[in-house]
Amino acid sequence: MKHTVTNALGWLSLALMLVSLYMVFMYVPTEETMGDVQRIMYFHVPCAWVAFAAFGLVAIAGIFYLWLGGRVWDDLGYASAEIGMLFCTLVLITGSLWAKPIWGTWWTWDSRLTTTFVLWLLYGGYLMLRALAEDTPEIARFGAVIGIVAAADVPIVIVSVRLWRTIHPSVLVTRQGEHGLQDPRMVATLLVALTAFTVVFAWLLLTRFSQLRAASRMEELRRDIAILEAAAGEL
Amino acid sequence: MAEPVVETRGLTKSFGITPVLRGVDLRVFPSSVTCLIGANGAGKSTLLRILGGFGHPTTGTASVFGEHSHSMTPAIRRSIGMVTHQSWLYPNLTARENLEFYASIYGVRDVHRNIDQWLERSGLAAFAGERVRGFSRGMEQRLSLARAMIADPRLLLLDEPFSALDPQGVGFACGLIKSSVERGCAVMFTAHVALEIEGVNIDRYEMVRGRLSQYHEEVKRGRLRSLLGR
Amino acid sequence: MTNTSAALAVLRKDLRLEVRTGQSTIALFALSLLIMVVLVFALDPKPRERFDAGAGALWVALIFAGVLGATRALVAESESGCIRALALSPIDPAALYAAKLASALIFMAVAEAAAVGLIVLFFNLDVGPQLARVALPVVLGTLGFSALATLLAAISSRTRAGDLMLPLLAVPMFIPALIAGVKASGALLAGAGFSEVGKWIGILVAFDALFVTLGALLFEYVIGEE
Repeated sequence: MKHTVTNALGWLSLALMLVSLYMVFMYVPTEETMGDVQRIMYFHVPCAWVAFAAFGLVAIAGIFYLWLGGRVWDDLGYASAEIGMLFCTLVLITGSLWAKPIWGTWWTWDSRLTTTFVLWLLYGGYLMLRALAEDTPEIARFGAVIGIVAAADVPIVIVSVRLWRTIHPSVLVTRQGEHGLQDPRMVATLLVALTAFTVVFAWLLLTRFSQLRAASRMEELRRDIAILEAAAGEL
Repeated sequence: MAEPVVETRGLTKSFGITPVLRGVDLRVFPSSVTCLIGANGAGKSTLLRILGGFGHPTTGTASVFGEHSHSMTPAIRRSIGMVTHQSWLYPNLTARENLEFYASIYGVRDVHRNIDQWLERSGLAAFAGERVRGFSRGMEQRLSLARAMIADPRLLLLDEPFSALDPQGVGFACGLIKSSVERGCAVMFTAHVALEIEGVNIDRYEMVRGRLSQYHEEVKRGRLRSLLGR
Repeated sequence: MTNTSAALAVLRKDLRLEVRTGQSTIALFALSLLIMVVLVFALDPKPRERFDAGAGALWVALIFAGVLGATRALVAESESGCIRALALSPIDPAALYAAKLASALIFMAVAEAAAVGLIVLFFNLDVGPQLARVALPVVLGTLGFSALATLLAAISSRTRAGDLMLPLLAVPMFIPALIAGVKASGALLAGAGFSEVGKWIGILVAFDALFVTLGALLFEYVIGEE
């Protein structure tokens, strides 16, 4: 049953992405100030939305794990962190690709990009912990705590970075007007892109989550088999 | 019939895929002494650890004073005294300071008289002001037992308490167990072989690869031979 | 026994142990000195920049002290398995957290006192009311880092590559307090009043409140066993 849902999401993602691509490259008009490069925004913003949502999900899964127990919550959190990290990296890459033609540098410390970078560091830490310490029995619990604390940190990061950039604006002009979209076609394109990326995320998440669940269940089965073998050995 | 102090039902514990405890059913009542006999790796220490609240059962239940062992309230935890392979003593504090510390976090009244008594009984009064770092293994074990007793526990969990003790220490430990039982405490201890304590009735169980069974005197010799031969 | 008296007993014990085995405090003084020296040569600030450079150096030293200080408070427990004794004891995990937090705080404060003295010297700052005012963001930042690092050190001390994991996890989480702290410190050292740095102080207070609360709530999960 899981397979059908995953497959359906996969096909839906493909369809929505094709529609988005058409809209971004054919349908939506060119933006005045920044030109064609601005079209990256329709990929950049949805990736950012997904990255932040994914890490919110890591925290929620963590809370449920600590509250209810059950490996399933840990598998969900870990899968969400991995996929979220992928999208977070894409935000930074697309942001960089956008910055270069507009401002001539590969990186700009504007408030949104900086916040995303801190997010990237936070979840890099989570993933490193999971990778290095996977044989620790309590690792799921530790992951839950880190996920919760990191997510709680994010609002303060947003506020402090924004204040940092308004009081001491960087030499480079911060991106303006990406939400002051003049043309309704731009708004429509952005909304479609947002939906497409969300569905892609759901598809990737479900796929990865299923893999982790299968591995967890395998381990449970092997554990039960070991118990039966020990009992059989005594007969 | 009194309520059991300790009760496990179908207690199973696996570390990863390795089974360490397999379906352990056990009941321990007040004013009793229970001895778990088994070789290394049989699961004795793991069982005691779970009863002390260290680790969740994989399946089955383990309750102490009616509460699940992994979520015991502070009141229950105050009633438990535990001795393990690690001494739980601070090497850079003196014997007296160690006991004072534990007395204060367990909310013991009349701290100084209590500590003086235990230092006397354990034969460590002369070393009260010495840092534990300089203690022999036997002295450390005696102090560890005193530490476990400091708050007058209702349940004693002792993991191989006799293994590191010198003859004086063995006398101290036996006396401690006897007087605790007389006061209504439930005592559980582990050992490699069956032991006798004068004046104390011991319920003996055998643990073999995570399974608990009654210890039978008649087959003792045969079992010991095969255990040694393995 | 109340949780407060138990927490105080733990704190007293940790301080007594630290006094008896005090090599780490001396090492920390030396480390603060060396960090300052490196920063002076690396930044080589112009006279105009010395307030910001000094503030930056101070907060770098704070983070280093914090990483060391947090682990100190927990290392003593793992020596003879004492953390298990504490987990079994009736003490509330939140009270234990408070005691460990206080240990880390005291340790960091000692190192920072040295650091402040050094930045006045190395960065040619005036000794005056502005130095007293900078104590506010520094104290708040120290509290925030202690709160964060005590919780994280309980995790890192039980996992592989723990020494690396602690700064890897703690530093990104500390960034908002770092930004606020450095900006407030720089302004205050240059003679600004509290009202001008109000927003930064607000961020520090919010950070501290959040992480002390989270630490107290989550500490029981990180000292428990599976």
